[in-house]
Amino acid sequence: MCGVSGIFHKKATPGRPAPIGRDLVRMLDSMAHRGRDSTGFTVAGESTEADLIVRLRADGEGPEETAARVRDAVSRLGAVVVSLDAQGDFIRLFLNYEGEVPELAGALYDMPEIEIHSMGRSSEVVKDVGTATDVDARHGLGFLRGTHGIGHVRLATESIVDINHAHPFWAYPFPDVTVVHNGQLTNYHKMKRKYEDAGHRFQTHNDSELIAVYLADKMANGKTLEGSLRASLEDLDGTFTYLVSTRDGMGCAKDRWSAKPLVAMETDDVVAVASEEVALRSVFDEEIARTEPQEAEVMTWSS
Amino acid sequence: MVELDAASLTTRELNRRIKDLAAAGQDAVVVNPAARHNIAVGVLQPCRIRVEGSVGYYSASMLDGPEIEIEGNAGWGLGENLMSGRISLSRDAGASVAASMRGGEVYVGGNAGARAGISMKGGTLLVGGDSGFLTGFMMQKGRIIVCGDAGDAVGDSMYEGIIYVAGSYGSLGSDATVEEASEEELLDVWGTLERHGIGERPHFTKIVSAKRLYHLDSLERLEKAAV
Repeated sequence: MCGVSGIFHKKATPGRPAPIGRDLVRMLDSMAHRGRDSTGFTVAGESTEADLIVRLRADGEGPEETAARVRDAVSRLGAVVVSLDAQGDFIRLFLNYEGEVPELAGALYDMPEIEIHSMGRSSEVVKDVGTATDVDARHGLGFLRGTHGIGHVRLATESIVDINHAHPFWAYPFPDVTVVHNGQLTNYHKMKRKYEDAGHRFQTHNDSELIAVYLADKMANGKTLEGSLRASLEDLDGTFTYLVSTRDGMGCAKDRWSAKPLVAMETDDVVAVASEEVALRSVFDEEIARTEPQEAEVMTWSS
Repeated sequence: MVELDAASLTTRELNRRIKDLAAAGQDAVVVNPAARHNIAVGVLQPCRIRVEGSVGYYSASMLDGPEIEIEGNAGWGLGENLMSGRISLSRDAGASVAASMRGGEVYVGGNAGARAGISMKGGTLLVGGDSGFLTGFMMQKGRIIVCGDAGDAVGDSMYEGIIYVAGSYGSLGSDATVEEASEEELLDVWGTLERHGIGERPHFTKIVSAKRLYHLDSLERLEKAAV
């Protein structure tokens, strides 16, 4: 099944951020019945003095060892570590870095036992096994503020249940592009091979990672967010309702069979979208009109 | 009339209370439904239920007899498998409203999502606004009345039954065809609209099965016994 949710505060700015983490925890908690394998969040439009926020996870060694390895790897490329928080296997890193993000991403990708959950100028991904409440308790999600964000509760169908296969998926090596997805892609292997032939490296065996890479690649080649979403309706085969978060925008797309649910509510200040209205009601107190995007429909919001 | 506060009851408790009230011949009013799933399901006798707020998936499904009024939106599968009775929704319904319904009436005041009336086996589905993609998909009996526009593939693979559309429609589905509606039929449809406070008498496009796709016995078990 799976559940997706997104929230966009129209009047928020990185300087005057909204409680995105708190909103997403509420929305995803109300949809826990749609998937209890794992829960994940992207909080975007955060305020930071650093150039880059990096979230990664290391398997099977102590936090000190990982931290030392990561410090060493990024320093070699001229990045300055502003701060490094290690919590269990998880590392949150603020960097000052003037080089190319793909180069730094590549260096981290090459490190054994390390999975990069996100790299962004002003956004980050937090994902873990368990429900939204579990993940919030472990990672203090409720404290993260920004302009918008997307989230996901997972009931795994297409790949294994572990932390790295939780959503959102970051579009390695493109900063700030992340995706949450409800559905299955049937031309995943074919498209994945196409990107791999062009030299792209995937981090997981999950079809949703492909959507993130697809969109980021389109946008890097000059397409708008909306244009990229529209193109995906033709190029991606299967059932999908997905949300994408970029540095300053959020969007959603629904396949041509209208196979997966999505409802939206919008006021002058806030847009919220989710698989179910029950999630929208967790952030809107009163009954307000909602819309249901139909087949092959695309919506975008940007600041 | 007894008020039930959904906020302080589990869905199972809420449905149990509604059934107990129905058995005692009392009407129920549900407040604070907060778009939760499965509200007012499986009630098998005539009674009146009013829900003040939006409901989630499969609400008012598997009913035989009740009259339910919902002030708000509904998620997927509202009124699924209705045998008899009436469901009235003031705003929008999600996908698959009135799926497999066999009798009674479902009224959607706003728009209906994709696959409205999928696999309908009787009764009437009336949509005050627009209906989405694949309206009446694999419909087997009954009628769907859409006062606004219908999406693409109306009546795709329908066996029997009739779909009336007042506005435009995106495209006809596989094996669906347009037929002229008789005056008598239109009077009947208008009568249904009137009962729901819709005063207009628009012309309706009548969509039925061309019957080139299937070759099945369309009688129900009881009907067969009667023949």
